[in-house]
Amino acid sequence: MALKRRLIALILIGTALGALLAYLHDPPWLLSVTSGMRPWETDLDGRRVRWMGGHASLFVPSDGRLVSIPIRTTFNSGDPPVTATISIDDRPVDRVTLTDAEWRLSTIRLPPNGSRRARRVDIRVDRTRADNRGAAVGEVTVR
Amino acid sequence: MKTVIAAAAAAGLAAYTLIYAAGLAPAPIRSDGFSYYVYLPSWFLYHDATLASVANDCCGGEFPASTAIIRWPGTNRWVNAHPIGVAIMQMPFFAIAHALTRWTNLSADGFTLYYQHAAGIAGLCWTLAGLWVLGNVLRRHFSAAVTAATLATILFGTNLFHYATFDSSYSHAYSFFLFAAFLAVAERWNRDGKASTAVLAGLVAGLIVLVRHTNALLLVCFAPALRSDARRLALAAATFLLVVAPELAIYYQATGRPIVSSYGELGFNFTSPRIFDVLFSTQKGLFFWAPVLLLGCAGFAILSRAPSSARRLVLPSVVFLALDTYLIASWWDWQFGGSFGHRGFVDALPLFAVGLAAFFAWATRTTSRRALVATIVVCAIALNLFQMAQYWNRVLPFSDTTWDDYRAVFLRWR
Repeated sequence: MALKRRLIALILIGTALGALLAYLHDPPWLLSVTSGMRPWETDLDGRRVRWMGGHASLFVPSDGRLVSIPIRTTFNSGDPPVTATISIDDRPVDRVTLTDAEWRLSTIRLPPNGSRRARRVDIRVDRTRADNRGAAVGEVTVR
Repeated sequence: MKTVIAAAAAAGLAAYTLIYAAGLAPAPIRSDGFSYYVYLPSWFLYHDATLASVANDCCGGEFPASTAIIRWPGTNRWVNAHPIGVAIMQMPFFAIAHALTRWTNLSADGFTLYYQHAAGIAGLCWTLAGLWVLGNVLRRHFSAAVTAATLATILFGTNLFHYATFDSSYSHAYSFFLFAAFLAVAERWNRDGKASTAVLAGLVAGLIVLVRHTNALLLVCFAPALRSDARRLALAAATFLLVVAPELAIYYQATGRPIVSSYGELGFNFTSPRIFDVLFSTQKGLFFWAPVLLLGCAGFAILSRAPSSARRLVLPSVVFLALDTYLIASWWDWQFGGSFGHRGFVDALPLFAVGLAAFFAWATRTTSRRALVATIVVCAIALNLFQMAQYWNRVLPFSDTTWDDYRAVFLRWR
């Protein structure tokens, strides 16, 4: 009797874990997940931006074709340029060198649609300014 | 005991969910929690023991000053003020988080969603494990009711619950477990002559030092209470050295020396300890913020004269608590930064639990005494939980609380 109860419990736990894993493979909330980003703020030119440290990631819908990422950083006299590397699902797709405080726009053609509803975009910078500020990222658009 | 631990698990999970769902605290890997955890992504994701690769990825090559990770003068390599013990105990949780991160296609940099909550939940799990081990130690000397009351009081009447949930990535939940485990192993050492107990003692002792170096004091205080046995002592010492060796190697590669003060120039003021402030002040006084622990002190006095088998735990516990108080009071930042209550004493709560259990056992001897003590303890727990919620909601200051600050918000929500 005890063995039968244990078997039923194991089957139930296994089923629940399987269902959870299936759900977590492509969860709908992924599109709202970001990491390495500070809260939204308004930049000097009125644009909505989020500052990142050395590395940030965000998700875009996989049915889009072009992703545009506005990016800039701050420059004091003598500051070296900052290079931002952008990857989609761990594959490097663009590199932007920031040599002044102006906005740059990285426009990336998304690779063919995969099996998931979201593609991961990682942005890495090679150096950060004071207070671990790497770059300001504007609102990402997907077409 | 099982009921208390089940209730603790349910309350802990509920509080943890509330804290992060309501945005009461930033992501779990923060402040000291960052530097305790940072070894895991460095070792397993970047295959780098120097921490430089994590610095490159997270912070453009330089860890911010707030992380307690400094460049060592002379070698220019990173030295982390916080040792590797917490990271070692977080490993199983990290492994699950990493597998899930890959599965969901989150960024596998060590700091995304699952890694954050793996580090947060790990502290809660080790606290629950600590309660379980402590309960088994207490149960050998006290009744089931006294044991259950002691566990509930230690968890909800002190800042342990806070360090199991809100600040669970700090080292204190881990040290709480290890101190409880050390009590269990020390008792087993005196009961049996097994080699496996010696290996276990060396492992627990090594982890105690790897989580917080100054807690080596516990080993020194309890060593005279262990039955002398040269063969098992050698085995325990060998295991201990094996466990702490990676930390010595890390210090050596970073500084050229195996033993260093990882806090750099920060240190102790042994000639002017703030003992009264550490114990009684409004800022972080241990007994001001957790008055139930005074009952634990009274319990030590009772236990020292009682014909109880727990009596042999009194002397090493009291000596440790006295020396630890002196050490904490001598630290340059005797408040230990922002914290609820004095976090320096969370590690030693299993020792206080022995005194508290003795006090509860004494209190249960007459009905009137039991009713009085129960009333006092319930009020102290209610006040503690209310003040904890005040701290979570930023009604209470993170540090430097004055008497005027305290009075202004006493039993107030805003």
